Amino acid sequence: MRAIDRHAWTNRWRDWHPAEKLLPAFGLLLMALLLPPLTTAPLIVVVAGSALVWGAGVPARALLVFVAPPAAFLLLGAPFLALSLDLSAGPTLRFSPGGVALALSSTLRALAALSCLALVALTTPVADWASLLRRAGVPAGIIELLLLMYRLVFSFAERALTGQRAQAARLGYSRFGRGLRSFGLLAGNLFQRGLTKARALEIGLTARGYRGELPVLRAARPLCRSRLATAMLGVGLTGLAGGWLGRALS
Amino acid sequence: MSVSLLAARGLDYRYPGGITALRDLHLTVRQGRKLAILGANGSGKTTLLLHLNGTLRPARGEIRLDDHPAAYDRRSLDRWRCRVGLVLQEPDDQIFAATVEQDVSFGPLNLGLSEREVRERVASALRALHIADLAARATHSLSFGQKKRVAIAGVLAMRPELLVLDEPTAGLDGQGVAHLLEALQHLHEAGATLVFSTHDVELAYAWADDIALFHEGTVLGQGEALAVLRDREMMRKARLAPPLLLEVVEALDGARGDSPPRARAEVLDLLRKRLKGAPLAS
Ligand SMILES: Nc1ncnc2c1ncn2[C@@H]1O[C@H](COP(=O)(O)OP(=O)(O)O)[C@@H](O)[C@H]1O
Ligand SMILES: [Mg+2]
Repeated sequence: MRAIDRHAWTNRWRDWHPAEKLLPAFGLLLMALLLPPLTTAPLIVVVAGSALVWGAGVPARALLVFVAPPAAFLLLGAPFLALSLDLSAGPTLRFSPGGVALALSSTLRALAALSCLALVALTTPVADWASLLRRAGVPAGIIELLLLMYRLVFSFAERALTGQRAQAARLGYSRFGRGLRSFGLLAGNLFQRGLTKARALEIGLTARGYRGELPVLRAARPLCRSRLATAMLGVGLTGLAGGWLGRALS
Repeated sequence: MSVSLLAARGLDYRYPGGITALRDLHLTVRQGRKLAILGANGSGKTTLLLHLNGTLRPARGEIRLDDHPAAYDRRSLDRWRCRVGLVLQEPDDQIFAATVEQDVSFGPLNLGLSEREVRERVASALRALHIADLAARATHSLSFGQKKRVAIAGVLAMRPELLVLDEPTAGLDGQGVAHLLEALQHLHEAGATLVFSTHDVELAYAWADDIALFHEGTVLGQGEALAVLRDREMMRKARLAPPLLLEVVEALDGARGDSPPRARAEVLDLLRKRLKGAPLAS
């Protein structure tokens, strides 16, 4: 979570208008869903991955860390999609040809979608998401709540970590049972402190004129049409290539 | 003659838990001065500062603004908080937005200023605290010292007449303190009145014009910094040791000059001068 956030704030495309990243990613996602996945999906994974690594300058390691857990989950689940239960001659499990094709295509699709998500998540900081949502007509209250939660997640995580370290330093986790007890104590304490902190934040914001709304300046960042056009062209070419390869193979 | 900008008259305050935090407290903030609220931990400094911008309301007594009793209705409070900017001790209690620039823009936007004016104020507040280069940074990725400056910039951008800071140097390292004081000194020279709480007698000696000596929820005495710090009886009562630099100067001079050196370097110079000629013990 911390790593994702750090790359979102520091990558080379950080200052681009969010639509320049969101629209191409969305385009790729559409391709992944609509075109034959056997050829298009791997192509999308490659395109999104190279855009991230060579374009935005996000280290390949960060990309791997982002996709590895859900990808592992997908790959573990895939064999079960390919299995089918046959009840005609007593219950037997076997791989059916249709099942294998289904498992392969849906896993590939999901992986492609995952790389589209990485493309956005690793290049677009939360503040940009917010301004985009605002323009899309999402009510201000909801966006403010999301942003505040985002900010609090970090201070909460920090406190949880220091609390956990402090407990560990006093051997609070040296045995399983003791670990459980320490964890319970920490959770209770964090909740209590959370309430106190919320009250303190309210005092702090009231001192700055808080009256129930959290207005902030939006980043003044012009949309670069040529960049967006180039990206969309890339997306189109990827789609064409995927579709053509798919037809050539079948 | 300086004018009283804000004054507390006979404040009593008791927390819901039953702890009496302030009792019969009197305080005067004079225009254009740097006033230190000096007292030990738990003596009630934070509680007092929360009264100075109307966050807490005294059980007895009153706050006076320009010699009029302050009112606590919505509109009066808004106007009050435009004039008196409060910076809390913990910067995370005041910073909420994702980027530095956005966070600092919050106060000016609440004042209903135009976007252009807001941008201008954000830029000048960031410049005043020497953090213009942090404008686009994520607030949660900042160091403690940087957060502290962002929190101050957020209040400063509202251009208050009186800036109230709770323990501004707490948690900063030596260089952080020096940078912060330099920035605050600039603000002060540009006309801001400053009130800050501290338990640090050295800081109060080095930097305050006036000191209000605090003990168990009341002001034992208020006056020119030097006069307060030299009042041994009162300092003892507040459980504070006099500043080391002042003691050194007095040990060297024995005299009670009107303006003993306050900066470390000056005191060291004085010390060197005195030691010249005299053989140093090896
Ligand atoms: N929210 C609170 N509820 C109850 N008691 C409090 C609260 N905040 C502070 N106190 C008590 O009030 C007294 C003064 O605290 P405070 O104003 O924080 O002192 P200082 O800032 O000088 O360290 C202390 O005894 C403290 O325990
Ligand atoms: Mg305090």
